[in-house]
Amino acid sequence: MEQEAAETLVQAASSDGSNPKGPDESEAVNRARKLLFRRVLVGIRDGRFFLGNFHCIDKQGNIILQDAVEYRSTRRSSPSPMEQRFLGLILIPSSCRVSCHVGCSVEEQLSLLSF
Amino acid sequence: MAGTSAQEATVDLPLPERTPIPSGDHTVWADVSPLLDAACKDLQDGMLIHGDNFNLFAAMSALEIMDPKMDSGMICKYYSVDEAIENGAAPVPISFDKTIDVQCTIDIMDHLLACEATWHKGHSLAQTVFSCIYLLRPDRTSSHPLLHSYCRVIRATCKTVISVVSDARTHEEEDLFIMTYGLPLNGDGDEKCLSMLNAVEETISRQLRACKAPSSKTRVLEDLVPLQNNVEFEESYCKALLCRLRFRKHFYHVLTSMRRPQGRGLELARKHIASCISELKCILNSSEFLRSSTLVTHEGNIEDKTTASGHQPIGFDASLNCRLSAPTPPRAIKILSWKKAVEYFMKLLQDLDVICSYPLDPSLESVLHFVVKFQKSQPDLVARAHLQRLLVQDGKLYGRDPVFAVITRAAALPDNTRNHDIQKKESIVQLGQLVINLLKILCTNGAWQRRKLGKILQDWRVVYVQLEMAFRKEFGEKANISNDENVGMKLFQHILVWVEEQTYWIAFRFLILGFELELYSESEYCMVYWYIYVVLIKLAEKTNLKTVVSSGSGKRRGKKKRDSVKDVARDYQIPPSVLFLQCQICLAEGLTMMLAALRNDCMMAQNPSPFNTEHERFIQHFELLQKACIPDHVSFPLFMESTTHAHLSNLVMYDYFKDAQRIAKEVKSSFSNDPEKLAELRRLEQVAEHNSIALNVISRAGALDPSLKVSFEFNHHPCFATAVVKRC
Repeated sequence: MEQEAAETLVQAASSDGSNPKGPDESEAVNRARKLLFRRVLVGIRDGRFFLGNFHCIDKQGNIILQDAVEYRSTRRSSPSPMEQRFLGLILIPSSCRVSCHVGCSVEEQLSLLSF
Repeated sequence: MAGTSAQEATVDLPLPERTPIPSGDHTVWADVSPLLDAACKDLQDGMLIHGDNFNLFAAMSALEIMDPKMDSGMICKYYSVDEAIENGAAPVPISFDKTIDVQCTIDIMDHLLACEATWHKGHSLAQTVFSCIYLLRPDRTSSHPLLHSYCRVIRATCKTVISVVSDARTHEEEDLFIMTYGLPLNGDGDEKCLSMLNAVEETISRQLRACKAPSSKTRVLEDLVPLQNNVEFEESYCKALLCRLRFRKHFYHVLTSMRRPQGRGLELARKHIASCISELKCILNSSEFLRSSTLVTHEGNIEDKTTASGHQPIGFDASLNCRLSAPTPPRAIKILSWKKAVEYFMKLLQDLDVICSYPLDPSLESVLHFVVKFQKSQPDLVARAHLQRLLVQDGKLYGRDPVFAVITRAAALPDNTRNHDIQKKESIVQLGQLVINLLKILCTNGAWQRRKLGKILQDWRVVYVQLEMAFRKEFGEKANISNDENVGMKLFQHILVWVEEQTYWIAFRFLILGFELELYSESEYCMVYWYIYVVLIKLAEKTNLKTVVSSGSGKRRGKKKRDSVKDVARDYQIPPSVLFLQCQICLAEGLTMMLAALRNDCMMAQNPSPFNTEHERFIQHFELLQKACIPDHVSFPLFMESTTHAHLSNLVMYDYFKDAQRIAKEVKSSFSNDPEKLAELRRLEQVAEHNSIALNVISRAGALDPSLKVSFEFNHHPCFATAVVKRC
């Protein structure tokens, strides 16, 4: 399912001809660029989540978030209450990242898909 | 259809939908990982996607998640304290088998002692003492009086120690020490920890008496349940517990009595210190029994274990509260071994005993001397904090003697000047503040102390200048001075001389600390001794002047002016304190000249530093002294000028070391009732003697024998080096 979604998004991305940022950049890069400064939720291997503003990503997939907050369950079994604390600027290595979501409205999500 | 499958993928979110992390009103979490993966694939090597506000340098400071050195929130074993407890990480009772329960309780006590020592040594409280799950949930232990009382007294002790250290503010470089965010340092009823501890102690003492009694009568009489099931070991277990409980009780008493104002609790504290030391010895002795009573074979060296029995204690997890308290470094730390912890507490108690036995001498000179001597034993933070709190309370010495009185006494002024109006002058008030600061700085650790001493030199200089200006303004243009003004003038004169003397004393201490901290390299010894020499000359001059001024003011009164000058010259004898300095001056000058001659005659291996010149190193070492003009007109060219003509051939003509030796011998009799000064003189004498011989050997054989190598060691004195001549 995930794989399929990725392909779809990439396909959708490449189908868009116009590219205001830079003609030599791929559509996927351009679309990823549009995520900058938006609220992103990243999940990592040990079960924690980080919510912060998308600041940077590199070729290897390491992400930097600004003003990040850490969320963690207080129990191994879910559902469980969450604890949170403020961390600030964090770097999430791609090796420990298991999920990445951006917060958007339903309409936006649909428009994203209509590309 | 591609569209629907994408929608399914984003709507049917695997993780965040199930977590209560809100995405906001009317918004959803859309999965972007496939997009990001694709974007990464398309990116060129070394390219980043970032906004206009991106700064690579700032990005470097980001906290790296899942890096064991940076990420304190990494989940290791348990997700939370509660989960750890639910999983049985810290059961109450520890075991339903009473013998095992007692064994485990003792292990917990021992490990807590090791944690406490590790904390005192500069690690965070959260990673040491409060790695104990039992401490983190104060109410859970209430059904286990033994453990409960112990946990309570531990929390109360930590609280007292923190308050002393944070009051004293000696922790500048050990700032982790007082951080307690998120830790339950105040358990309900912890203030009553002693009464509870006493009750538990009483019960165990009765159990001990019962098992020692020959018949079972007492047991029936007192209706006592034994401590544990194994009759054979009952006595030893009771004893092992009792010394641990009593140690805690006395230690808590030590801390609270030492905190009483104006040093009123010192006498009592000493008694408790003695008890603490004897209980600590019992604790040490109990380890043999504790190790033998369990059948489990030990892995690893017993010396590394954190408990007397060698067992891993139950109920500790340092990673649990890392995430609670932000300032906790995520690095795993090594808890001191139990043996080392006991040694630490022995040393701490001895250091505290030294503080408690100080007679609260009101003379500043003796206080300074005491603090410097105390620091030589390298006391740890807790002891230093206690000393500082004793010395300075409410801006007074011992919370008792006003600073102005201390200054007038130090400046050798008569008692009746202590209430003079002059003390209200701004510069005198500032001077008082400087004295208080000096005392506080002398209680800090060596490195911090040196830096601070270097910095306050300028303040002392400024106060001197201000005092001098005030003095001129007040008395400068007047020819005839009334009696009252005369007192004021005398005050100013005395204080001015004393301020200068004190300033040079600080400068000397600053230079000497460089040796203790091993900041000087052998190639720099020459300039260091030269600087020590010029500072000591000034110090001796001011000390001498102070003695003359104070003795002169008493004598001169009844005599005519012309006679008095003669009299002073005839009667005058150099005071022993000045002679003592003279001895050090000779040594410092001798070493300077010897080192310079060795350098000039190419007898010492010269390794010119590729990084900086000698001039630059001179500035690096003495910049703070130079800035404060200590002494005036002293500079690198002057140093070069005074050492460039030193050669072995002309050194023999005047032997500084012989002079030092002679003065040391002479002045000994003046310090016959001061064993420390005597010991110091003996050390100086030894250095002088050895260097004198070495110098002779070098100058006689050196020029002919190129295989002769000279090096310097501190085997007789920590600061004055001894030359060692070797043939290689």
